[in-house]
Amino acid sequence: MTRISRKLRNWTYEKLDLPQDIVFNLPRLTLIGNKELLIENHNGVIHFSPEKLILSLSQGSLEIEGAELMIRSILPREVMIEGTVRNIKYIETEESH
Amino acid sequence: MKIPTLVYWRGYVGITVRNGHLESFINDLTQMGIPVWDVKPSASQSAEMKVLLSDFYALRPLLKRTGCRVHVNTRIGFPFQMTKLKKRRFFAIGMMAFFAILFLLSSLIWDVKVVGNVKIATDDVLVVAKKEGIYPFQWIFRLNHLDELSLQLNRKLPGTAWVGVDRKGTTITIQVVESSLPETKPLLSPRHLISRTDAVVTSIYAEQGLPLVAKNSRVKKGQILISGLLGDTENSQSVVAKGEVKGLVWREYNIEVPTVQKHKVYTGEIKNKSYLVLGNLGVQLWGYGKVPYAKYDVVTEQDPLTWRSTKLPMGWMTEHVMETEERSEVITIEEAKKLGIEGAIRDIIAKYGIDSTIISRKILHEKKENGKVYMKVLFEVEEKIAEELPIAYNQGD
Repeated sequence: MTRISRKLRNWTYEKLDLPQDIVFNLPRLTLIGNKELLIENHNGVIHFSPEKLILSLSQGSLEIEGAELMIRSILPREVMIEGTVRNIKYIETEESH
Repeated sequence: MKIPTLVYWRGYVGITVRNGHLESFINDLTQMGIPVWDVKPSASQSAEMKVLLSDFYALRPLLKRTGCRVHVNTRIGFPFQMTKLKKRRFFAIGMMAFFAILFLLSSLIWDVKVVGNVKIATDDVLVVAKKEGIYPFQWIFRLNHLDELSLQLNRKLPGTAWVGVDRKGTTITIQVVESSLPETKPLLSPRHLISRTDAVVTSIYAEQGLPLVAKNSRVKKGQILISGLLGDTENSQSVVAKGEVKGLVWREYNIEVPTVQKHKVYTGEIKNKSYLVLGNLGVQLWGYGKVPYAKYDVVTEQDPLTWRSTKLPMGWMTEHVMETEERSEVITIEEAKKLGIEGAIRDIIAKYGIDSTIISRKILHEKKENGKVYMKVLFEVEEKIAEELPIAYNQGD
């Protein structure tokens, strides 16, 4: 993301009061109990095992811990996870631009 | 975020992917827009997942790139069922043939019923119906429209007011409503009414024709009572004489009645013979032995087996052998006379019509001789005396 475009986005967010997930491509998580988790705006799977699932995000990554995790379905920007969710960890990394 | 639609009909496979970079394989799948669902990782760098059958061969380049190996676990869906069926071809053919035969047989007419006809014979209706294409083993789809059929049948069957054709499944019901026609009167040729016997007229009523006699007049046998010729000799017309003429007639009866009356009575002794009937053959089962009676009557009772209303050619037959006895009864002269007169009155009514009435009776003579009563009785009877005589045309002129 270039500097100018980021500034433009920031400006539209402030002026138009749009949700951040649309403007900044931030992830939106919908957690139903601890059974189902819908994550929008992910950038792909980094690690996947029954106990741990790491998804890449536009900034940083998301680590989900639990048991018997499975991907119910997956699309380029969306993923639906089923299983027992115990821990959702947001790992921030400095943007490298 | 859904599993693709109609996965059963499109067919899908459950595969295990292992020995490679699983995460990048999944990422590649999503990037290429290949739907994948139910991704279950197992402990050691492998995962089970489901993909559509049509996408299966598109996986190959991805597998190569990520160094994964694939193994097909389950094949689910209609395309796989079809290949299974292809192997069991005769089973499939049989199944198809079953439905085809079921369909064909149910599109035949099996039964044609005719209801509501009284005067018109069922066979006549069926013959006309057959011309219109309604008969057993006809294809239902070859039938005309039912309204048209009923119209045609109504037109072709004389004496019907309305004909309804109704189809329920494989049965055609033809409902016939007969038109009520006026009764056809028998055609009569011109005639006179003449006297059948010598009599005194007690009443005469001419419905048509010219009465020639009056009440209380004596008539001879053969005399014209009501003439069928109207008009004079120049302008004459012959008609059918109709009417009712009653007259007094004397009838003499010689009656003889025996004073000893013989009756046949059952003594109450009975012997049963039972037969098993098979077709025309009867096998006696019970009641063997000679009949111990001097005089007897045999009453046969048939009891065939029936199924619904059809008699079967087997069953049971019982012969009742009943002893009879002749008893003679002596009656008095009064009773004998009464019996004789009653017999004579029955004879009169049987011979001269049921509306004959006995006006009076007179016993002219009676005697008892050789155990019999002889009587001569004169009955005065009022009865119908008219008889028809056709008018013969004089063709010589």
